[in-house]
Amino acid sequence: MAHIPDGVLSAPVLATGVAVTLAGCAIGLRALDHEKIPRTAMLSSVFFVASLVHFPVGPSSVHLILNGLVGVALGWTAFPAIVVALLLQAVLFGFGGLVVLGVNAMNMAVPALLCYALFAAIGRRDSRKLSILAAALAGGLGVILTALMVAGSLALSGKEFDAAARLTLFAHLPVMAIESAFTAAAVSLLLRVKPEFLGMPEPQEASYA
Amino acid sequence: MRKRLAILALALTICAPPALAHKLKVFATAIGAEISGYGYFAPGGRAQDSAVSVTLPDGRVLATLRTNAEGEFAFVAQTRADHVFTLDAGDGHVATYRIAAAELPDTLPGAGAAPAIAATPAPQAQTAKGDVSSAEIRAMVEQGVAHQLRPLREQIDAWQEKVWLHDVLGGLGYIIGLAGLAYGLSANRRSKPQASSAMKEARR
Repeated sequence: MAHIPDGVLSAPVLATGVAVTLAGCAIGLRALDHEKIPRTAMLSSVFFVASLVHFPVGPSSVHLILNGLVGVALGWTAFPAIVVALLLQAVLFGFGGLVVLGVNAMNMAVPALLCYALFAAIGRRDSRKLSILAAALAGGLGVILTALMVAGSLALSGKEFDAAARLTLFAHLPVMAIESAFTAAAVSLLLRVKPEFLGMPEPQEASYA
Repeated sequence: MRKRLAILALALTICAPPALAHKLKVFATAIGAEISGYGYFAPGGRAQDSAVSVTLPDGRVLATLRTNAEGEFAFVAQTRADHVFTLDAGDGHVATYRIAAAELPDTLPGAGAAPAIAATPAPQAQTAKGDVSSAEIRAMVEQGVAHQLRPLREQIDAWQEKVWLHDVLGGLGYIIGLAGLAYGLSANRRSKPQASSAMKEARR
């Protein structure tokens, strides 16, 4: 699902994925000023490890994606963060293929970006509740959009969209619920202890050492 | 919190879809001419009700099977050739497994022969009670060994997908290293304009 292996997608889909991912990375790296580097690395690590967290669902298990959280915290920089984490997952864990890295990154980073837009639109610095609600929505949205984009990639490569979408969406419902709760909890904690992490600085800018 | 848990529980009970995880694998062994195997997902769960196609190296499709509720499938080989089992879970997961010709009994006709020909009848007719031919003994030994080896091969196959702690730590180390590299590059980029502005100030 989220990590598509090699040899499934058609060439135009692969090319589109690479193009979108390269463009996103270029914008993301430009936005990566040096105060954002530790945050980007940290969320890249979280994304990298999240795929190892399995939840038993029925006879099987699903794993976290957490692209909503990465998007909310990073914005455009989510692109390079996700590409690095996906590359390491492919090389070290064998999750997903190397040729489809572009498509996989697109399928997870574009939703992350939309989550960022959603969080920026709804979240408010002065309203904790609204921000947490926005985070919960973003956490769920990231998973749903990823599932839809995976189904779309498969459909454009000649698979049946209905079947693929049904499979990917249903399997992701529990992931969606868990990530929604997790993202909300993470954002709630961050708002309390380190609001500047979410691009919501406190009145006095923390001095940079 | 209770509400959240209730929603979570609901979602978990609604969804008992075909097993899903991030890596699909196929495992199969041949015991005699009968090839049996199953599709499974790396961290747990079987690939239920998925299509399995059996192809020869030259691209001929011998059969299209479906896995049962346990993710298992079975196929009786008619030729002594490499058999490739491709399992497609339909959601983007595809995996293949190859049964080499050497694993199949040599009583089967070679790859060139028509696959429709049934295996040559075992030479049971000519053996009297308590007297078995060497070919039969060999077949029995081979089957026995294949039986004994199967769990071991399953374990090896599953172990290839185990994620080790050193993989995780290595990945985290890479990310930290990249962050350090990015830091260094950005410091380099920043220090130049700063240096020039400092020089300008010094000139004033």
